[in-house]
Amino acid sequence: MSQHLEEEVPLSTTAERKIIVDQAGAAPSKEWVIVTRGVKREYDMGGEIVRALRGVDIAVRRNEYVAIMGPSGSGKSTLMNIIGCLDTPNEGEYWLNGQLVSTMKDDELARVRNKEIGFVFQTFNLLPRATALANVELPLVYAGISSNERRERAMEALEAVQLGERVHHRPNELSGGQRQRVAIARALVNRPSILLADEPTGNLDSKTSEEIMRVFEGLAETGQTVIMVTHEPDIAAHARRVVVLRDGTIESDERREVFTEKLGLTL
Amino acid sequence: MRLWDRILMSLEGVMIALDSLRANKVRAALTISGVAVGVFVVVAMGATVHGVRTSFQSDMDEFGTQTFQIRRRNPGFNSCDPTVDDCPERRYPGVSLAEWKAVRELPEVENAMAWLFGQSTITYRDRQVKNVGYDAQSTEWIQTDQADVFPGRTFTEAEHDAAAQVTLVNQKLATELFGDSDPIGKAIDFDGRQFTVIGVYHTKAGFLKSLDGRGPDTPRAVIPMMTAYRRMGVWRRSMMVMVRPKVEVSRDAAMDAVTATLRGMRGLRPAQPNSFFLVGQDKMMETFDSLFGAIFMVGLGLSAVGLLVGGVGVVAIMMISVTERTREIGVRKALGATRATILWQFLVEAATLTSIGAILGLLIGAGLAWVVRANTPVPASVPVSAVVMSLVAAALTGVVFGMLPATRASRLDPVEALRHE
Repeated sequence: MSQHLEEEVPLSTTAERKIIVDQAGAAPSKEWVIVTRGVKREYDMGGEIVRALRGVDIAVRRNEYVAIMGPSGSGKSTLMNIIGCLDTPNEGEYWLNGQLVSTMKDDELARVRNKEIGFVFQTFNLLPRATALANVELPLVYAGISSNERRERAMEALEAVQLGERVHHRPNELSGGQRQRVAIARALVNRPSILLADEPTGNLDSKTSEEIMRVFEGLAETGQTVIMVTHEPDIAAHARRVVVLRDGTIESDERREVFTEKLGLTL
Repeated sequence: MRLWDRILMSLEGVMIALDSLRANKVRAALTISGVAVGVFVVVAMGATVHGVRTSFQSDMDEFGTQTFQIRRRNPGFNSCDPTVDDCPERRYPGVSLAEWKAVRELPEVENAMAWLFGQSTITYRDRQVKNVGYDAQSTEWIQTDQADVFPGRTFTEAEHDAAAQVTLVNQKLATELFGDSDPIGKAIDFDGRQFTVIGVYHTKAGFLKSLDGRGPDTPRAVIPMMTAYRRMGVWRRSMMVMVRPKVEVSRDAAMDAVTATLRGMRGLRPAQPNSFFLVGQDKMMETFDSLFGAIFMVGLGLSAVGLLVGGVGVVAIMMISVTERTREIGVRKALGATRATILWQFLVEAATLTSIGAILGLLIGAGLAWVVRANTPVPASVPVSAVVMSLVAAALTGVVFGMLPATRASRLDPVEALRHE
């Protein structure tokens, strides 16, 4: 089984990643979805400079399932915001799907987010007044898709997360697991390059968390690139590759097996 | 984004605005009441002015579009101040009897009615009606006023020229003086002069006639012009002549003929201006419009204040809305909403708020117009232009005042917004 997956979704090796990361200024080839080179991000917190990221190099190949781990204050949220194009680095390059995102302006970033990134948040962040269907349609609205096609694609996405029966329910009529599945449907409806999940199980009980993790696994198996930010090692252990941040730099970036062995986790 | 999607998204904005209205009733009510008051004032005033104008127009039409007046003074705002020395009109002579008769004989003229006004206390035996206005008119009045006389008859040319002391009374005056008994042949007293009632006249009730006491609800009488001229001590210089040109003659041609005649009779040299005024229906309408235009401008000013108050309310409620929905804005941005999209969404919301206010104001204004129409002679009605104008003005107020909060929403940093609790 494990062997079979390795063939279908090849993990990048450390050596491959080093080659890509070292070619500063060069556009990476299409198979590399995410490449950051020496990304730094500093905040001015009332006169005090906080160095949230101090030079981060990450390369993610298409179809990888990567967890970004780290204690609070490690800079993982900042890194997630940059990878999600919600924020830009002060220094360094960020290439997303062959586009240099790190120098883009607000509205360009909005378009990239719409097209390339599917967000899944800890608190789901569904619009409370809108039905599940309307929530899932929203990215398509911003993409300028016609209403018929929108409806069709949103229905498909909801059916894919087994919510075909509940499309006209509002978020407050859905359970936590269902809400998160609506959020996943919304994240995937625009067929993004990456699914970016920020503590996706943080507000769910362990049973529902497992259920959501299975959804992610299924997506990874079908070839969806998934980046998951979490501070829980057992959730991170669901990914194939785990990047650990500490004090704004990468502490380790290794296969799941190495990571779990080090922590003594059993899968 | 396609236009259709913009429209659909606007509808979504309208729904959100309605939702937040329901959620914050008091706040929303305060916001929209300013706009509602502003629109109400404009609509109510517009309806009244429109009604008065319609009525005035129909009164004018009754005279005929061809008819014009010869007057010593220019009516309304066009007149100069007679207390000021350099006002030339104060030195103009009145229209004389000879001039009236000359105009009447012109080949271009169908008829010319001389017209003086007066007021008397009228007594019949023990009954007295104080301050009855009367029209002293030449025999043409029966055509000009389109009056019906029954019972009785109007006065003849001979009676007019002889300044006979005969009078026609309207139904109201007849009832007040004689009750149910037959008025014809009764002797009544105009400030000590004895007149014989020869007829009862009925005129149509135009609004303006009602305003200046010539409607059917006010006691009034008609006497021969000559009688007033010779015997009643009225101010002769105030005599007016209503000229109706022949059907085949244009009004301008008739006016030219009258001008030539009067200038000739007054011996005016070519360099001198006319010492009289010819006033057609269009001039009367102009006078009316300048008067009511001024009133309407005051109304516009008042409503602008209302819209301003509403606008400030919009700023307040939208600022709160933006703060409350910071996280939603963050989510929308994360999903790909550009600044322009967010801006548009909040502008639509603001415009919806003010438009609801406008619709409310329109309804109240239309209600008031209906009450006015039902209870007064003013046929008040809300003109379509007022409806369109107030809706546009209200929506514009929403957009202008919504700009500040909407801009703030559109500029929110998505990271900060998503972190907002």
